[in-house]
Amino acid sequence: MSAKGLMAKRNVSFDLYDIDILSSDDEDLGRISSDLSLGLSMDEMKAAKGYFSKEGRNPTDVELQALGQAWSEHCCYKSSKSILKQFVFGIDREDVLSRGDAGVMVFDDDHGYALRVESHNHPSAIEPYGGAATGIGGILRDVVCMGAQPVGLADPLCFGPIDMTADIPPGVKHPRYLLGGVVSGIRDYGNRCGIPTVTGGIFFDERYTGNCLVNVGCLGIVKKKDLALNYAGGPGEVMILIGGRTGRDGIHGVNFASRDLTATSDGDSRGSVQLGDPITKEPVIHACLEVNGKHLITGMKDLGGGGLSCAVGEMALAAGCGAEADLEKVPLKEEGLAPWEIWISESQERMMCTCKPENVDRVLEIFDMWDVSAVPIARTTDSRRMKLFWNGEMIFDMDLEFLTGGPIYDRPYILPEVSTKEGEKFPELPDDGKVILTLLSDPNVASKEWAIRQYDHEVRAATAVHPMVGKLNMTGPGDASILLPVHGSMKGLAVAAGCNPWFTALDPYKGGMSGIDEACRNIVAVGARPNAFTDCLNFGNPEKPERMGEFREAVRGIGDIARGLNIPIPSGNVSLYNEASGGMGILPTPMIVGCGLIGDVRKAVTADLKKEGSRIFLIGKTKDEMGGSLLFRKFGGERGDVPGVDIVSLKRLMDRLLEVMDKGLVLSCHDCSDGGLAVAVAEMCISGDTGACINLRSDGIGIRRMLYSESNSRWLAEVDGKNVAAFGAVMGDDAEDIGSIGGPSLIMTEAGVDLPVREMRKAWNDPIWSAMGGGS
Amino acid sequence: MKPEEIRVCVLRIEGTNCEDEMADAFRMAGAQAEKVHLKQLTGETFPEMKRNLEDYDILALPGGFAAGDYVRAGAIFAARIKSALGRDVKKFVEDGKPVLGVCNGFQVLVELGLLPALDGTMSPVPTAALYTNDSGRFECRPTVVRNDNGGRCIFTSSVERGKLMMIPSAHAEGRLMSRDLDFIRKLEENDQVVFRYVRDDGGKAEYPWNPNGSESDIAGICNPAGNVMGMMPHPERVVTRFTHPDWTRNCPGGEGDGLQIFRSVVDRLG
Repeated sequence: MSAKGLMAKRNVSFDLYDIDILSSDDEDLGRISSDLSLGLSMDEMKAAKGYFSKEGRNPTDVELQALGQAWSEHCCYKSSKSILKQFVFGIDREDVLSRGDAGVMVFDDDHGYALRVESHNHPSAIEPYGGAATGIGGILRDVVCMGAQPVGLADPLCFGPIDMTADIPPGVKHPRYLLGGVVSGIRDYGNRCGIPTVTGGIFFDERYTGNCLVNVGCLGIVKKKDLALNYAGGPGEVMILIGGRTGRDGIHGVNFASRDLTATSDGDSRGSVQLGDPITKEPVIHACLEVNGKHLITGMKDLGGGGLSCAVGEMALAAGCGAEADLEKVPLKEEGLAPWEIWISESQERMMCTCKPENVDRVLEIFDMWDVSAVPIARTTDSRRMKLFWNGEMIFDMDLEFLTGGPIYDRPYILPEVSTKEGEKFPELPDDGKVILTLLSDPNVASKEWAIRQYDHEVRAATAVHPMVGKLNMTGPGDASILLPVHGSMKGLAVAAGCNPWFTALDPYKGGMSGIDEACRNIVAVGARPNAFTDCLNFGNPEKPERMGEFREAVRGIGDIARGLNIPIPSGNVSLYNEASGGMGILPTPMIVGCGLIGDVRKAVTADLKKEGSRIFLIGKTKDEMGGSLLFRKFGGERGDVPGVDIVSLKRLMDRLLEVMDKGLVLSCHDCSDGGLAVAVAEMCISGDTGACINLRSDGIGIRRMLYSESNSRWLAEVDGKNVAAFGAVMGDDAEDIGSIGGPSLIMTEAGVDLPVREMRKAWNDPIWSAMGGGS
Repeated sequence: MKPEEIRVCVLRIEGTNCEDEMADAFRMAGAQAEKVHLKQLTGETFPEMKRNLEDYDILALPGGFAAGDYVRAGAIFAARIKSALGRDVKKFVEDGKPVLGVCNGFQVLVELGLLPALDGTMSPVPTAALYTNDSGRFECRPTVVRNDNGGRCIFTSSVERGKLMMIPSAHAEGRLMSRDLDFIRKLEENDQVVFRYVRDDGGKAEYPWNPNGSESDIAGICNPAGNVMGMMPHPERVVTRFTHPDWTRNCPGGEGDGLQIFRSVVDRLG
């Protein structure tokens, strides 16, 4: 028997069903949840039954569907909240202006900057172009609803190997197809909205084959006096639905995001993928910022996961109110949608704002000027209940605290066994010249220019440090990008991603710390001081205790280092259930997007070597930490210590390095990450189009570990000979002179390396161009 | 006219997205710039928002993806301008007032028939097109252009002939083409070629220095009268040195290469 027998169509002219859960047994409850695609567990269904027993009536299909949305992992963080609370919430600093839909930090006396990153993983695995595009749309709205003008996008992505020739599991799309689609989606949406995509990263590993990751981050700038709230100002206000029409696209998106992908996800869940339209979005941004800047509205929120069902209730409840909505007023893409579909659809390009009744006309005029649809559909009340009507017929009447409260779980976890030096196997290696070329050509290191140059990273004319640096059309990789978000001011906002999923797989605690360390390194490398982080925590199925253990440990690592550095995380996102069909989980991927501030962008530093004859210094200590290193992955090493972070040293190193940069003593700077010191110096040679001569002391750990260990908190810095003394006076023992700049080749005497820059450039430049097509 | 009396209309509709920096660039050159929605010129708005094109001294069409560019780059915006405002725009040009189109704005000018305009101010149908880049991709990269104009173009009036400028490109459709086989020769005869892509040392541009495969490496052209110019690269993105992609290694001063274009036209009117 299906749940059909428990559903009674109400005698009205539209599709509405009353669902008999009061007389349902456990089996019936399970059937209702699965037949209606509610995604609710047995306990959750029983809680619903208990609630409606107290109300003394059966629910409508609209009410149960709304509950399925509100109580999904995606919307209420039921598996992650207690861990986030324990480890990362509550790092407070006076310059946190808001922890709303996006975090907002102080930028200067008059401005704040907004930051947020979130995932659009599951939709992108099914439909990469639309999934990625709507991911950009969603994150833009999160920033806009803080009243902030978006100024930059940051998109870290993870895929299976693009040159994969092995059999692809059923239901899975080839990584090359996914990468092509995702980059096109980001390009077409970001470029059309006119927001530069300035940083990101592309990670490749077999374990992302069945479940790619598409993380989308956005930064914005807002005048402090225009900082918006994401909720109503009180009862008696009008709620206006703005932007796109509502359709059947994006139904049950949050439930799809809250379970594992399967071999049949493509067919089953395509309807969960929303359709994006950047040319509706672009004027929505203008108009929303205009009504907010004129202080005509009291609050603004984007319609993302759960659509109207989440936004209306949350905007009302956060103001201590309830709401009443007239669903028949919602503009539709097509006739015939049932009320429940309208209420939970995640159709794109929609926002909600609240305003005092006397301002409604002015607000509607401004939207009309931009040809953006804006329709009052609801009003706030003083009852704390959510009520829905369809041409006057009440179809929904629930307590908002119950509806949006959601369950919280302390899921069982098993702490992972971590990789250590014990049992380490150091791989057999060819000569070091060959090793360096091999590492440079690994897709995780190789040039991402194929993607970077399809993204407009200069629109808005405010990109001061670009994602690729060096001589024109001879560039190499940068560290962080810097934006000039306030016209006429030289104060810069630096942004960079940081994550090492391989470290995290072998030691989640150290992996979590390493992501933050890397984001800090990138930001400091351009001369900016790390100021805030936002994180997108991509993990597997939380109902599996091993996955939960990885999640817990990684979050603990992030919390410890952020607290140690006293840098807040005012926003973030958790994406669980990243598992492919067949149960292969992704690498645990705590993606960090870091933001930094630089008082005068004219003091910024880039990674390209600049001057023949200058000296090159290694900053920070290289340890025997080979676990998870690119060298081990590439050449078959096993186990090893995973790089940890000494927070006290990291702080001191950042302070000293920023001091010498501020004094103008550093010509170029690059962090050591994948491939260690060897790859870092090679990259600086490539972007500077010059050789270098490096003399390393083995420091007791051996030359090869010196070259390829990926110990955290390290940078390379180029210093003009005349400034070496002044540089050394600040850096003390933390910097070691390891060589000089010049010549056509990278020479490392102790390792027997003599590599022409031309050859290194080719090894680094060509792989992704060759795999994806095109190239210079 | 004093520079600060010069009024620039930066025209926008949904999807134009370089209007802020375009207006800022004209302001840096000393003029007043206002971002004006097409509906403000056609009268489809409240009285206090209405504007008249004839009240402005310069018209600027910024880059972006006007109306999504879903038909053909610039085609929808051009059709909307033409149907509601065609006569006003034609008069504006015939009065000798300067019109600048950058990137998508250049595509709009070609779709409008204001460029290359070999036979009259505004051809009834487009006589050229900005076709898909040779690479088939959107290309966001630094490009170096040389001022090849002999003095006709108002937007390069104070730029030395042969001068190299780093002005970045960001487009998917920038390859100037025409069915007229004599197209390039005619442009040259009329002194309508303004900018050519070159290498950073001034040599002949191959990809990626010519990012789109444009014939004769043409990056920007003007009309025979010299008061309408369209170019694919974005001068408004490099009005300060600190948005040049290589300023950390090559920084002769604080001013960006693009500012000269705005200054040329403002100084000439001033």
